[in-house]
Amino acid sequence: MKYLFPDISNQLSNALGSIPFFMPEIYITVLFVLVIVTDLLFGKNSARLCRTIACAGMVVVIFKDLQQFEQILSGGHFLFGSMLLLHRTAIVFKLIIDLLSFILLLYFEWDHRLKAHKKGLSDLYTIVVGSVLGLHLMIMAVNLLSIYLAIEFVSLASYLLVAYRSENAFSTEAGLKYVLFGAASSAVMLYGISLLYGFGGTLDLFSGHMAERLAQVNTMSVSFAIVLVLAGIGFKLSFVPAHFWVPDVYEGAATPVTAYLSTLPKIAAFALLVNFVTPFVFYDHWKGFDFRLVLSAIGILTMIAGNFAAVLQSNVKRMLAYSGIGHTGFALMALVTFTPQGLSALTYYLLMYGLANIAALALANYFENAEGITDVKDYKGLGFKYPLASVCFVVVLISLTGLPVSAGFTGKLFVFSAVYSIYQQNHDVWLLALLITGALTTVVALFYYIKVPLNLFLKRTELIVSENKWSYNLVILSTMIAIALIIFGIFPDLLIKYM
Amino acid sequence: MNILTLLIFTPVLFGLIILLLPSSMRASFKYITLLATLLQLGFSIWMYLNFKTGASYAGINHEEQFQFVQKLPWISLDLGGAGKMQIEYFVGIDGISVTLLVMTSLVLVIAAIASWEITSNLKGFFALFLLLDMAVVGVFCALDFFLFYTFYELMLLPLYFLIGMWGGARREYAAIKFFLYTLFGSVFMLLVMVGLYLSVKDPITGNHTFNMIQMMNPKNYIDGSVFSILSHQTILGMPARTVGFVVLFIAFAIKVPVVPLHTWLPDAHVEAPTPVSIILAGILLKIGGYGIIRICTGIFPDVAYSGAYWLGLLGVISILYGAFNALAQRDLKRMIAYSSVSHMGFVLLGIASQTAEGISGAVLQMVSHGFLSTMLFFLVGVIYNRVHDRDIYNFRGLGTLMPKYTVYVMVAFFASLGLPGFSAFVAEAFSLAGAFKSHNVNGLLPYWMAVCGSVGILLSAAYFLWTLQRMFFGTVSLKGGDIWKIALTDINWRETATLLPLALIALTLGVMPSLVLGKINDSVLALVQFTQNVFHY
Repeated sequence: MKYLFPDISNQLSNALGSIPFFMPEIYITVLFVLVIVTDLLFGKNSARLCRTIACAGMVVVIFKDLQQFEQILSGGHFLFGSMLLLHRTAIVFKLIIDLLSFILLLYFEWDHRLKAHKKGLSDLYTIVVGSVLGLHLMIMAVNLLSIYLAIEFVSLASYLLVAYRSENAFSTEAGLKYVLFGAASSAVMLYGISLLYGFGGTLDLFSGHMAERLAQVNTMSVSFAIVLVLAGIGFKLSFVPAHFWVPDVYEGAATPVTAYLSTLPKIAAFALLVNFVTPFVFYDHWKGFDFRLVLSAIGILTMIAGNFAAVLQSNVKRMLAYSGIGHTGFALMALVTFTPQGLSALTYYLLMYGLANIAALALANYFENAEGITDVKDYKGLGFKYPLASVCFVVVLISLTGLPVSAGFTGKLFVFSAVYSIYQQNHDVWLLALLITGALTTVVALFYYIKVPLNLFLKRTELIVSENKWSYNLVILSTMIAIALIIFGIFPDLLIKYM
Repeated sequence: MNILTLLIFTPVLFGLIILLLPSSMRASFKYITLLATLLQLGFSIWMYLNFKTGASYAGINHEEQFQFVQKLPWISLDLGGAGKMQIEYFVGIDGISVTLLVMTSLVLVIAAIASWEITSNLKGFFALFLLLDMAVVGVFCALDFFLFYTFYELMLLPLYFLIGMWGGARREYAAIKFFLYTLFGSVFMLLVMVGLYLSVKDPITGNHTFNMIQMMNPKNYIDGSVFSILSHQTILGMPARTVGFVVLFIAFAIKVPVVPLHTWLPDAHVEAPTPVSIILAGILLKIGGYGIIRICTGIFPDVAYSGAYWLGLLGVISILYGAFNALAQRDLKRMIAYSSVSHMGFVLLGIASQTAEGISGAVLQMVSHGFLSTMLFFLVGVIYNRVHDRDIYNFRGLGTLMPKYTVYVMVAFFASLGLPGFSAFVAEAFSLAGAFKSHNVNGLLPYWMAVCGSVGILLSAAYFLWTLQRMFFGTVSLKGGDIWKIALTDINWRETATLLPLALIALTLGVMPSLVLGKINDSVLALVQFTQNVFHY
């Protein structure tokens, strides 16, 4: 204890010195408190006000994120005694998260069923803002401890969101399933972390000792520990075989919450995975656990399982859940390149996936609001009744499939070229297998995505003249996203050059 | 403003106008579309007339020899260590594209006129029609692989909806089958495209490029890259260049279609409405043939050379299999669809021969088949619109009932079966001459292939004449009785105005094939020269 005293001042100055690099997170914390207080002060009618404050706050946070680019001109920066790492990719990830959460904060209220909740939505906004803080931490975490804490932070928020509106047994079941699965996987992950700490004697991933010491330990045991940690991250990423919770939870949760779950935690988990694997991949003498091999195999399995399972679904949300699993697999492909080019392809792909997925779920929500339908078979002939929403749906799904001219296609192209350029150097068969699986599953993806336009436009039915409960907001939101997807499809370098 | 850019994007402009106009003006949509296609026809004829010929304008693998070129930087991306990605908006034409462009523009005009029959949801139909129009024209003009691929894929979605929303009873099945088939081919094309661009460097800027013409020059390949000729890389144990060629070939062979990848075609044709059938048969199949010439043999000439036997074999199989199937059909439209498979086989046979005659024949066959299949499908549409039936055995003695119609049918049938004096005769004769000559000149194709091709002509005479006899000769006897008799009026002025120019073109091209051959000759010679020289690098 005595030896630590001289260190305290160092630690304090380090912590204080880190604060300027921590501004976006501090702003989110303030925003979180503000939203809670507003909720408490204004009671039941505060939902609208909370939403306004939360959205305005997110805009400020985005500006703060942008300012951070100037702080890291000379390279990455460790914060709070190497708990967090602020670097360029992290800022890009944070921007993606903040942009998408801004859209989601706008969107929550437009779900009729969620809006009819008797508690009101104020709490929901608080939880989401809080989770964004967790997501930021996840993106920057480079210490096994901070990784675990950040994941738990986000998990807790997600549990609350999933169970926010549990009106029937199915969604209650979904909520419970999610909590149980999440708790189990974080326990497993914690066990893995403790093993790694035991083997390596450090929690700091970037200290330089971690990989070096682990390389000297028995390969099997280290691999076992790493697999356990990956299982925890995999729960958030929803890759195979940690994907079993996805369809039920996505279907059971309120649609905007599904939109949240399928994008934000997944994107942050990719950033986390990048942080986690980097020290091992770039340690030259690392011989044991082959990250490229394992992640490639997982990617291939995930693409196949997600896409083929989606073919069998007829519930739109369930279908999008499985397709989201497939997209995780595809994004893993960009990750296993372990190059800056691969990372920028990954961020671009994830942003476009996030936008398109939110828009697709918003449109599913639109039809749910308007006609009370969730099954794709009930979409029959609705294309003529709701032309704008249906056309947007087609555009969004085209982007998710990855056909030109859409941002999804350019994303796919960037990922393919990143992987190919590595393949050209090392002729790794796994990379080739990833490329081929990626191409094949595109065809499979078309097969199920096309069901939506098929029912909207091709199947004819007597138009039932029902009362229109229009949700203009949802159409406006998804139209804007659809237009953005086309624009980024034609001019991807508007964006990719910053990533 | 570049004329090719105008040609490509005029239809989208008109499509936007249609989208913005209120639905109450739906009666005007067909005129707007017709105006757009006529404008395009005007542009393409202007280009045809101003197209310069001569060895210094041959094109193929010389960028500076292309005409009406426009080149703008489009997407440029820093890839860090791997250099820069260079995607350009690069359009230009040489002899091979110019005649196909004129054919395409004319077929689109005919298709626009055939769209008069569409009655439901006009705004959607014409907007999609014009989008498709842009995509098909773009494919023939694009010289950047990325641009080519974009246009190539952009065709799929409008076609899916055009077949699926305005088609016949089994339209959903036909539409999805078409879409999946083509996408299957093209996603793997995407992989090869990415591989090619990472293998090729622009010698001037030093960036990776999607420029197709740069891809044709073996010197631009980076040493040790996947598709470099010299490095002999393998993919899964197979030579990389062979894999690349085969993947691209499969993508285009699905479009052509080459047996055994043809099964989407009869379904798509039978279910599609007449204007879409016209575009499918008249233009889309040619995109397959064009792709094989420009991209497969252009970028992988060495593999095209060593694999010529197999290409020829597939061509012959298509010719014979398509013809036998056509003989067996009851549905008139299905019969014509299979005859397309058979006729497109000549294109493949001509390309495989790699002689000047064969390739000229292939291009001429594409142009000629473009006009003739348009005419044939339009003719089927004429009866189908009147009685909603096209079973060959349900009609007899149409000759007395619809004399003018019968004349056009006879012209179209005789022209298609290769009667001397019509365009198909010259085209098929050239393809076969190339195939015969190939044995002596480069030894690629054996004699029996050319012989089997000639048998194909004989078979096509059999099914066309037999159909003529069954449907048009003899006494009038119709399945629908008197109701049909009243419904089956002879062709009106609009139909005449469509059919007459087509018949005249078929005849003119038969008498003066130089209209096409004169324009393509230099490019064909350059291509033959190029494929034979490839081993000297």
